[in-house]
Amino acid sequence: MPQKVTTNTILNCFDMKKLFFVIIVFVSLKVKAQELFVFTEPASNMPGKSLGIRDMNAFMFEKDGQLNYHNMPELMWGINKKWMVHVQGFISNRQEGGLKAEGGSFYAKYRFLSKDDIQSHFRMAAYGRFSFNNADIHQQEIETMGHNTGFETGIIATQLLHKIAISSSLSYERALDNTSKHKFPESESNSAVNYTLSAGKLMLPKTYTSYKQTNMNLMLELLGQRLNGNGRSYLDIAPSVQFIINSQARVDIGYRQELYSTIKRTAPNGIVLKLEYTFFNVFK
Amino acid sequence: MKKLIISSVILFASFITNAQITKAELTATGLTCSMCSKATYKQLTSIPEVEKVETDLNKTAFLLHFKKGSTVNVGDLKQKVEDAGFSVGELVVVFDFNNQKAENNSSFTQDNITYTFIDSKPGVLTGEVKVKVLDKGFVTEKEYKKLQKLAKQYPSYAAESNNQYHIKLL
Repeated sequence: MPQKVTTNTILNCFDMKKLFFVIIVFVSLKVKAQELFVFTEPASNMPGKSLGIRDMNAFMFEKDGQLNYHNMPELMWGINKKWMVHVQGFISNRQEGGLKAEGGSFYAKYRFLSKDDIQSHFRMAAYGRFSFNNADIHQQEIETMGHNTGFETGIIATQLLHKIAISSSLSYERALDNTSKHKFPESESNSAVNYTLSAGKLMLPKTYTSYKQTNMNLMLELLGQRLNGNGRSYLDIAPSVQFIINSQARVDIGYRQELYSTIKRTAPNGIVLKLEYTFFNVFK
Repeated sequence: MKKLIISSVILFASFITNAQITKAELTATGLTCSMCSKATYKQLTSIPEVEKVETDLNKTAFLLHFKKGSTVNVGDLKQKVEDAGFSVGELVVVFDFNNQKAENNSSFTQDNITYTFIDSKPGVLTGEVKVKVLDKGFVTEKEYKKLQKLAKQYPSYAAESNNQYHIKLL
């Protein structure tokens, strides 16, 4: 178990003033915004009647020096303007014996509010995910994306203005026994509240002339969790760069860094590489 | 309300005319990104009556050219934009008229769709004429709120029907 962390040590971990400065500089730049975030989902859905494929690769640094590799292939379906669903598989090398398929998840998102205006919108969505995972439970952090069997449900609000996109989410996450052999420890908190804040902006192109132009976006995201059972928490910062090629393919490169944590986590920091491709109008 | 609509339809008895929609300028709202714009573009090009679509990416605007002799329902355009996940902020339609009489509150029917003139100068229209569609879902929400008061003067405006649209001469 980690030692109790005081507010002082949290501030020492990362200078909050610097963080605010970074955010303010980020939001004040006069550019168009993007909301295809790397570490979180926006309230907007992918286009209706379209199919997307995504492959997320996470290279996480174990505190004992080893490298955890997680591969999470994902199939995404925009059913209509209100509903989209994902199915995802979880593969990792975290257990003995190399790469192993550990589980999968089903995700659905429902957009229930949409206020559109010229180059701006405000949207809200509700989502739910159910995941299963056969790996051992090895940390206090609850993560139904590739670690825990369990479910997560929450709401997302996204504001797009000419110059900035900001998105925030709040969710409840509940861990269940991974398998009969890998039960969730009774002594640990099996539920958590997650909160995120994301901002994104378009760097290139300065003016659009064609769909073939490669877009470059910069994102900055804050990802937090608080365990309901014991009040322990963590907060991560995750900057990323994104390239959109031919208005159809996405390459995201992100880095996730723990700002503070009173939760025991085995590999919080690491690099994420996401590849995504959208097939428009697959369904009539 | 229904009585009002019916009486207004009878009062301004519309007549079958020869007025073809040849082009449409559509501005989509709720988006800035090129991927979002491309999704909208792909939806619009999937409409059978559409011959080609030109784009103004910076304004998220689309210029649609329709095939000659095709029947266009502007409701289909709105549906496609909404399928992509966005909304129509403005729709300007180009009609090719042949001696079409126009005055406030007068209507004409083309391909079973009735168009009623709103806030338009009286006259006889010939050739390509631009009109703006004022119905709900074809203007921004802010603009629609202002337009709602038109319902008193133009009772059919509140009907939000799929085969009756309200247009303003530009």
